[in-house]
Amino acid sequence: MANKVLAILNSKAPYSSTFGKDSLDIALIFGSYEQGVSLFFQGEGVFQLIPNQDGQQLSMKDYLKTFSAFEFYDIEDIYVCLESLQERKLSNAFHIEKVNILPAKEFAAKLKQHDCILRF
Amino acid sequence: MATLHLVRKSAFNSQELLQCCQVLTSLDILILIDDGCYNLNHDLLADIKEIISVKHIKVIKHHAAARGQYVPKDIERISMSDLVSLTFETENVITWQ
Repeated sequence: MANKVLAILNSKAPYSSTFGKDSLDIALIFGSYEQGVSLFFQGEGVFQLIPNQDGQQLSMKDYLKTFSAFEFYDIEDIYVCLESLQERKLSNAFHIEKVNILPAKEFAAKLKQHDCILRF
Repeated sequence: MATLHLVRKSAFNSQELLQCCQVLTSLDILILIDDGCYNLNHDLLADIKEIISVKHIKVIKHHAAARGQYVPKDIERISMSDLVSLTFETENVITWQ
């Protein structure tokens, strides 16, 4: 996967399953080996980006806080589906920066530009 | 005959709240728990307020807070022990998950 780019598609809400945490682990592993990684958030996955969350209240390790380390792993391409935000009446306030909000068609086209796609 | 409905799933990606809505009757109580807290922003809540009093719609306080969900003033925030007490006040409990 020398110069190939991986897309990780997040579709689950943060706390009721381990999908979000597992996908974060994969992203950081690829990032630490300097493999290109882009993150996509769609459907319930957009709930991973909203601010003021606190996994501690559920006695869970709050993996969302690790999102702030993305830039140290050169993970800079982060995309979120506009329709998924609108459906859930969410604003574009996120707990991380430089999130690109794309309408569904552009979101799909951007995803297609990647060599390998993992969905969580 | 009041029934306690525990909804654990978000209506944005599942049918549980809709199906609960279809069997809900006026004396029932609805508790939003776990990912059910995301339903605080779903349009179905308005339909539910037509069937039961808003006083009968409650959400688990720390589940909503953990998910950064805003709880409207007219919806009561309760603890898990409150939930346990409620199970003794109703004839039936249905968990929608």
